[in-house]
Amino acid sequence: MKADEPQNVCKESTYSTLFNAYSKTIFNYIYYKFGNEEKANDAVQEAFVKLWENCAKVAPEKAKSFLYTVANNLYLNVIKAEKVRLKYADKSLKTTQETPEFLMEENEFRAKLDQALNDLPDNQRSTFLLNRIDGKKYVEIAEMEGVSVKAIEKRMHLALKALREKIEGI
Amino acid sequence: MQENYLAKWLNNELTELELEEFKKSKEFAAYQRIADTSKKLQAPDFDSAKAWELLQESKGKQETPKVISISPFKAFLRVAAVIAVLLTGAYFYFGTLDKTIITKLAENKEISLPDASEIWLNAESKLSYNEKNWDSERAITLDGEAYFNVAKGKKFTVTTAQGTVTVLGTQFNVENRDGFFEVTCYEGLVSVLFNDEEFKLPAGNSAIAINGRLNKSKVQINGRPSWVNKESSFRSIPVKFVISELERQHNIEVILGDIDENQLFTGTFSNTDLDLALKSISTPLKISFKLEDNKVLFYEESAP
Repeated sequence: MKADEPQNVCKESTYSTLFNAYSKTIFNYIYYKFGNEEKANDAVQEAFVKLWENCAKVAPEKAKSFLYTVANNLYLNVIKAEKVRLKYADKSLKTTQETPEFLMEENEFRAKLDQALNDLPDNQRSTFLLNRIDGKKYVEIAEMEGVSVKAIEKRMHLALKALREKIEGI
Repeated sequence: MQENYLAKWLNNELTELELEEFKKSKEFAAYQRIADTSKKLQAPDFDSAKAWELLQESKGKQETPKVISISPFKAFLRVAAVIAVLLTGAYFYFGTLDKTIITKLAENKEISLPDASEIWLNAESKLSYNEKNWDSERAITLDGEAYFNVAKGKKFTVTTAQGTVTVLGTQFNVENRDGFFEVTCYEGLVSVLFNDEEFKLPAGNSAIAINGRLNKSKVQINGRPSWVNKESSFRSIPVKFVISELERQHNIEVILGDIDENQLFTGTFSNTDLDLALKSISTPLKISFKLEDNKVLFYEESAP
């Protein structure tokens, strides 16, 4: 799409571009928070259906925060998060010649990290994982969560600190 | 150490001094390991295609967005959509009413009408008629050239952009080309309306109007137009119309060198053998031709 072309979210091409750009992030974001894939999928549907209903009112550059707001508001009343289960990209381990001792120790560390992640407050976990897994910048996460960049840095700091303490304590 | 230094560290925002100090701390190795290991984590698979499909379904259930747009372009689109729907509807509606037969370049078609009348349609012509109303009104619209063998019955009308031909039951040929209108009657009697003037054309007569000027000539009674027998015949016809017919019959492109396109031509050319046709035209006009692919160049023979 050309930059000078007037864009409209009601336009199918603009809409699908937005879907391709943000659906996966919304899915991940909600999953990191609540550990439930079904909820994450529902959040994607809810956010994009709402966007379609309001496509004439939402400017394309505002669509991103609109989507995040809808996804966030959807689970305001969800109190207890479920266990977050994450996979590891294991390429590095399979191709290197590591000793069995190292591999065992590595697996132990991962189990501890998983447990520590699940013990984090929801918003610290989602912030931490969006940065580590999705490579999101603090500015982007701040926009998603609807808070300041400084608040995100605080969460990040606390998350790291809590993770280290948890892992050492296990 | 600055506030939230762990976050700053992950973002490479620590100063060199701070970084050095942090690396010396006993917790650094643990933090480094958490940062590295967490980077290898993966979110569950997200089926984007399925999500998109689901979304299309729920979008389909919704009415179109409830919001009224203030954009004038959208209003225009709405009007355009309505017009498009109407046009499409009209096109299909009239499409069921009228039957249209079209011939391409170098193509002839033979058509049988519901009352056993027959029509031969010459190359690059278009003919349409209403099949349903045929019993009450025998009417044909023609663009191009066709030969009619009309079964006896009610009035049979051929409408063209230049003139209208009306008959009861007869054999005749109508040719309606750009700047050229010809009606030839081979049997019976036809009535021709041309330039608001009606005249009768008995069997064995031909009426030719070139650029609006009408001329009549004699033809053989009970004959047939030559093109039905795969030949095109001309009697004192400007060369440009002869060339147009040649292009239509052989699907070629003709370029006339410095040849007078208004000089008259009398003769016949084959509609099947191009080489023979080119010779049939060039020889009496004393001109030469060159054939390359689908292009023919006619040019004046150089002085001997």
